[in-house]
Amino acid sequence: MLETNTLEIIIFSILAAFMIGGSLAMITNKQTVFSAFGFLVAMLGLAGMFALLDNRFLAIAQIMVSVGAVVVFSMLTILTINMKEKSLLVEPDKFKWIAFSIVLIAPFTYLLYKSLSSTALKFSTSIQTFDTKAVGHELFTSWALPFEMVSILLLVGMLGSIVIARKKKEKR
Amino acid sequence: MTPDMFFGLASVLFSIGLVGIISRRNLFVVYMSIELMLSAISLILATFSKLQGDAGGSVMALLMIGVIASEAALFLAMIVHLYRDYRTVDSDDFDILGSADA
Repeated sequence: MLETNTLEIIIFSILAAFMIGGSLAMITNKQTVFSAFGFLVAMLGLAGMFALLDNRFLAIAQIMVSVGAVVVFSMLTILTINMKEKSLLVEPDKFKWIAFSIVLIAPFTYLLYKSLSSTALKFSTSIQTFDTKAVGHELFTSWALPFEMVSILLLVGMLGSIVIARKKKEKR
Repeated sequence: MTPDMFFGLASVLFSIGLVGIISRRNLFVVYMSIELMLSAISLILATFSKLQGDAGGSVMALLMIGVIASEAALFLAMIVHLYRDYRTVDSDDFDILGSADA
Protein backbone atom coordinates (compact mmCIF):
# COMPACT_ATOMS: atom_id res chain seq x y z
CA MET A 1 0.00 0.00 0.00
CA LEU A 2 1.44 3.30 -1.05
CA GLU A 3 1.52 6.24 1.27
CA THR A 4 -0.71 9.14 0.33
CA ASN A 5 2.21 11.48 -0.17
CA THR A 6 4.03 9.10 -2.52
CA LEU A 7 0.85 8.59 -4.50
CA GLU A 8 0.35 12.35 -4.77
CA ILE A 9 3.90 12.79 -6.03
CA ILE A 10 3.43 10.05 -8.63
CA ILE A 11 0.19 11.63 -9.88
CA PHE A 12 1.83 15.06 -9.89
CA SER A 13 4.76 13.76 -11.95
CA ILE A 14 2.51 12.13 -14.54
CA LEU A 15 0.37 15.25 -14.88
CA ALA A 16 3.42 17.52 -15.01
CA ALA A 17 4.99 15.37 -17.74
CA PHE A 18 1.76 15.56 -19.74
CA MET A 19 1.53 19.33 -19.31
CA ILE A 20 5.14 20.07 -20.22
CA GLY A 21 5.09 17.60 -23.10
CA GLY A 22 1.84 19.06 -24.40
CA SER A 23 3.08 22.62 -24.26
CA LEU A 24 6.39 21.71 -25.91
CA ALA A 25 4.44 19.96 -28.67
CA MET A 26 2.35 23.11 -28.92
CA ILE A 27 5.28 25.41 -29.63
CA THR A 28 7.27 23.05 -31.87
CA ASN A 29 4.66 21.60 -34.25
CA LYS A 30 4.33 22.91 -37.78
CA GLN A 31 0.73 21.77 -38.20
CA THR A 32 -1.55 24.12 -36.25
CA VAL A 33 -4.07 21.39 -35.40
CA PHE A 34 -1.36 19.33 -33.66
CA SER A 35 -0.40 22.43 -31.69
CA ALA A 36 -4.03 22.71 -30.61
CA PHE A 37 -3.96 19.06 -29.48
CA GLY A 38 -0.86 19.79 -27.39
CA PHE A 39 -2.68 22.75 -25.88
CA LEU A 40 -5.65 20.49 -25.11
CA VAL A 41 -3.38 18.04 -23.25
CA ALA A 42 -1.84 20.90 -21.25
CA MET A 43 -5.26 22.26 -20.28
CA LEU A 44 -6.48 18.80 -19.17
CA GLY A 45 -3.32 18.43 -17.10
CA LEU A 46 -4.01 21.80 -15.49
CA ALA A 47 -7.50 20.61 -14.51
CA GLY A 48 -5.86 17.58 -12.89
CA MET A 49 -3.49 19.90 -11.02
CA PHE A 50 -6.45 21.87 -9.66
CA ALA A 51 -8.02 18.61 -8.50
CA LEU A 52 -4.73 17.65 -6.85
CA LEU A 53 -4.85 20.96 -4.95
CA ASP A 54 -8.23 19.90 -3.45
CA ASN A 55 -9.98 22.49 -5.56
CA ARG A 56 -12.84 20.55 -7.12
CA PHE A 57 -14.88 23.47 -8.37
CA LEU A 58 -11.93 25.02 -10.17
CA ALA A 59 -11.05 21.66 -11.77
CA ILE A 60 -14.58 21.26 -13.15
CA ALA A 61 -14.68 24.90 -14.28
CA GLN A 62 -11.32 24.43 -16.03
CA ILE A 63 -12.57 21.36 -17.89
CA MET A 64 -15.85 23.01 -18.87
CA VAL A 65 -14.51 26.40 -19.93
CA SER A 66 -10.92 25.90 -21.08
CA VAL A 67 -11.22 22.42 -22.55
CA GLY A 68 -14.88 22.42 -23.51
CA ALA A 69 -15.13 25.93 -24.88
CA VAL A 70 -11.76 27.56 -25.55
CA VAL A 71 -9.92 24.60 -27.12
CA VAL A 72 -12.93 23.47 -29.13
CA PHE A 73 -13.41 27.06 -30.35
CA SER A 74 -9.74 27.30 -31.35
CA MET A 75 -9.94 24.01 -33.24
CA LEU A 76 -13.11 25.15 -35.01
CA THR A 77 -11.37 28.33 -36.12
CA ILE A 78 -8.27 26.41 -37.25
CA LEU A 79 -10.36 23.95 -39.23
CA THR A 80 -12.51 26.74 -40.69
CA ILE A 81 -9.47 28.61 -41.93
CA ASN A 82 -8.30 25.22 -43.29
CA MET A 83 -4.72 26.00 -44.30
CA LYS A 84 -3.48 23.69 -47.01
CA GLU A 85 -0.16 21.91 -46.62
CA LYS A 86 1.58 24.20 -49.09
CA SER A 87 0.24 27.42 -47.58
CA LEU A 88 1.43 26.57 -44.06
CA LEU A 89 4.08 28.91 -42.76
CA VAL A 90 7.67 28.14 -43.64
CA GLU A 91 9.79 28.77 -40.57
CA PRO A 92 13.19 27.32 -41.41
CA ASP A 93 14.94 28.84 -38.38
CA LYS A 94 12.23 27.77 -35.95
CA PHE A 95 14.35 25.52 -33.73
CA LYS A 96 17.21 28.01 -33.78
CA TRP A 97 14.84 30.68 -32.50
CA ILE A 98 13.39 28.32 -29.90
CA ALA A 99 16.85 27.41 -28.59
CA PHE A 100 17.87 31.07 -28.52
CA SER A 101 14.80 32.17 -26.60
CA ILE A 102 15.15 29.28 -24.14
CA VAL A 103 18.66 30.50 -23.34
CA LEU A 104 17.24 34.01 -23.05
CA ILE A 105 14.38 33.05 -20.72
CA ALA A 106 16.06 30.39 -18.53
CA PRO A 107 17.40 32.97 -16.00
CA PHE A 108 13.96 34.52 -15.79
CA THR A 109 12.44 31.10 -15.07
CA TYR A 110 14.93 30.57 -12.27
CA LEU A 111 14.17 34.02 -10.84
CA LEU A 112 10.42 33.36 -10.96
CA TYR A 113 10.81 29.99 -9.26
CA LYS A 114 13.11 31.37 -6.56
CA SER A 115 10.92 34.34 -5.78
CA LEU A 116 7.82 32.14 -5.58
CA SER A 117 9.39 29.45 -3.42
CA SER A 118 11.03 31.98 -1.09
CA THR A 119 7.74 32.13 0.81
CA ALA A 120 8.85 28.79 2.33
CA LEU A 121 5.36 27.75 3.32
CA LYS A 122 4.17 24.17 3.65
CA PHE A 123 0.82 22.66 2.81
CA SER A 124 -1.13 22.10 6.00
CA THR A 125 -1.75 18.45 6.75
CA SER A 126 -5.42 18.91 7.53
CA ILE A 127 -7.63 18.29 4.54
CA GLN A 128 -9.51 21.37 3.47
CA THR A 129 -11.44 21.30 0.27
CA PHE A 130 -12.58 24.37 -1.59
CA ASP A 131 -15.89 23.09 -2.84
CA THR A 132 -18.58 25.00 -4.67
CA LYS A 133 -20.06 26.31 -1.42
CA ALA A 134 -16.84 27.95 -0.20
CA VAL A 135 -15.96 29.43 -3.60
CA GLY A 136 -19.52 30.64 -4.21
CA HIS A 137 -19.77 32.25 -0.78
CA GLU A 138 -16.49 34.08 -1.31
CA LEU A 139 -17.49 35.04 -4.85
CA PHE A 140 -20.70 36.79 -3.81
CA THR A 141 -19.44 38.47 -0.65
CA SER A 142 -15.94 39.93 -0.88
CA TRP A 143 -15.41 39.36 -4.63
CA ALA A 144 -18.74 40.69 -5.90
CA LEU A 145 -17.27 43.72 -7.73
CA PRO A 146 -14.56 41.76 -9.64
CA PHE A 147 -17.22 39.19 -10.52
CA GLU A 148 -19.43 41.86 -12.06
CA MET A 149 -16.46 43.35 -13.86
CA VAL A 150 -15.63 39.98 -15.42
CA SER A 151 -19.24 39.54 -16.50
CA ILE A 152 -19.14 42.93 -18.24
CA LEU A 153 -15.79 41.95 -19.78
CA LEU A 154 -17.36 38.77 -21.16
CA LEU A 155 -20.27 40.75 -22.61
CA VAL A 156 -17.91 43.27 -24.22
CA GLY A 157 -15.73 40.42 -25.52
CA MET A 158 -18.78 38.79 -27.11
CA LEU A 159 -19.91 42.01 -28.80
CA GLY A 160 -16.37 42.92 -29.81
CA SER A 161 -15.68 39.56 -31.42
CA ILE A 162 -18.91 39.85 -33.43
CA VAL A 163 -17.93 43.35 -34.60
CA ILE A 164 -14.33 42.37 -35.41
CA ALA A 165 -15.12 39.18 -37.30
CA ARG A 166 -18.06 40.63 -39.24
CA LYS A 167 -17.71 41.04 -42.97
CA LYS A 168 -17.21 44.59 -44.12
CA LYS A 169 -20.02 46.03 -46.20
CA GLU A 170 -19.11 46.76 -49.78
CA LYS A 171 -18.69 50.48 -50.42
CA ARG A 172 -20.35 51.85 -53.48
CA MET B 1 3.92 17.02 -2.28
CA THR B 2 5.41 20.44 -1.63
CA PRO B 3 4.37 23.88 -2.94
CA ASP B 4 7.78 24.17 -4.61
CA MET B 5 6.81 21.50 -7.12
CA PHE B 6 3.77 23.48 -8.19
CA PHE B 7 5.76 26.70 -8.33
CA GLY B 8 8.45 25.04 -10.45
CA LEU B 9 5.87 23.63 -12.85
CA ALA B 10 4.10 26.98 -13.15
CA SER B 11 7.41 28.78 -13.82
CA VAL B 12 8.32 26.27 -16.53
CA LEU B 13 4.91 26.56 -18.19
CA PHE B 14 5.03 30.36 -18.10
CA SER B 15 8.47 30.29 -19.70
CA ILE B 16 7.38 27.82 -22.39
CA GLY B 17 4.58 30.24 -23.24
CA LEU B 18 7.05 33.11 -23.43
CA VAL B 19 9.35 31.05 -25.68
CA GLY B 20 6.39 30.31 -27.96
CA ILE B 21 5.52 34.00 -28.25
CA ILE B 22 9.10 35.00 -29.03
CA SER B 23 10.10 32.24 -31.42
CA ARG B 24 7.01 31.42 -33.49
CA ARG B 25 5.32 33.44 -36.21
CA ASN B 26 2.09 31.45 -36.56
CA LEU B 27 -0.67 33.57 -34.97
CA PHE B 28 -2.45 30.50 -33.59
CA VAL B 29 0.66 29.38 -31.72
CA VAL B 30 1.16 32.90 -30.35
CA TYR B 31 -2.44 32.87 -29.16
CA MET B 32 -2.14 29.47 -27.47
CA SER B 33 1.14 30.57 -25.83
CA ILE B 34 -0.62 33.58 -24.28
CA GLU B 35 -3.35 31.26 -22.97
CA LEU B 36 -0.69 28.97 -21.51
CA MET B 37 0.96 31.86 -19.67
CA LEU B 38 -2.38 32.95 -18.20
CA SER B 39 -3.10 29.36 -17.14
CA ALA B 40 0.29 29.11 -15.41
CA ILE B 41 -0.61 32.20 -13.37
CA SER B 42 -3.94 30.69 -12.36
CA LEU B 43 -2.07 27.55 -11.20
CA ILE B 44 0.09 29.78 -8.99
CA LEU B 45 -3.04 31.45 -7.59
CA ALA B 46 -4.67 28.10 -6.80
CA THR B 47 -1.48 26.93 -5.07
CA PHE B 48 -1.38 30.03 -2.87
CA SER B 49 -5.07 29.55 -2.14
CA LYS B 50 -4.35 26.10 -0.71
CA LEU B 51 -1.24 27.33 1.12
CA GLN B 52 -3.08 30.10 2.93
CA GLY B 53 -6.30 28.16 3.43
CA ASP B 54 -8.18 31.04 1.84
CA ALA B 55 -10.73 30.61 -0.94
CA GLY B 56 -9.87 34.07 -2.35
CA GLY B 57 -7.13 32.68 -4.56
CA SER B 58 -9.51 30.13 -6.03
CA VAL B 59 -12.01 32.87 -6.78
CA MET B 60 -9.29 34.88 -8.50
CA ALA B 61 -8.31 31.84 -10.58
CA LEU B 62 -11.96 31.33 -11.47
CA LEU B 63 -12.30 34.95 -12.63
CA MET B 64 -9.11 34.44 -14.61
CA ILE B 65 -10.74 31.55 -16.48
CA GLY B 66 -13.42 34.05 -17.51
CA VAL B 67 -10.76 36.48 -18.70
CA ILE B 68 -9.09 33.66 -20.67
CA ALA B 69 -12.40 32.81 -22.36
CA SER B 70 -13.04 36.40 -23.40
CA GLU B 71 -9.45 36.77 -24.62
CA ALA B 72 -9.90 33.63 -26.73
CA ALA B 73 -13.04 35.03 -28.36
CA LEU B 74 -11.40 38.36 -29.22
CA PHE B 75 -8.11 36.89 -30.43
CA LEU B 76 -9.76 34.30 -32.67
CA ALA B 77 -12.07 36.95 -34.12
CA MET B 78 -8.97 39.03 -34.84
CA ILE B 79 -7.27 36.07 -36.55
CA VAL B 80 -10.35 35.46 -38.73
CA HIS B 81 -10.46 39.16 -39.66
CA LEU B 82 -6.74 39.26 -40.53
CA TYR B 83 -6.95 36.01 -42.50
CA ARG B 84 -9.86 37.33 -44.54
CA ASP B 85 -7.83 40.40 -45.58
CA TYR B 86 -4.34 38.92 -45.97
CA ARG B 87 -4.89 35.18 -46.61
CA THR B 88 -2.12 34.29 -44.14
CA VAL B 89 -1.58 33.82 -40.41
CA ASP B 90 2.11 34.77 -40.54
CA SER B 91 2.66 37.60 -38.07
CA ASP B 92 5.54 38.95 -40.19
CA ASP B 93 3.13 39.90 -42.98
CA PHE B 94 1.03 42.26 -40.90
CA ASP B 95 3.14 45.40 -41.30
CA ILE B 96 0.54 47.86 -42.56
CA LEU B 97 1.02 50.21 -39.60
CA GLY B 98 4.79 49.97 -39.72
CA SER B 99 5.57 50.78 -43.37
CA ALA B 100 5.73 54.56 -43.56
CA ASP B 101 6.47 54.79 -47.28
CA ALA B 102 3.58 52.58 -48.39
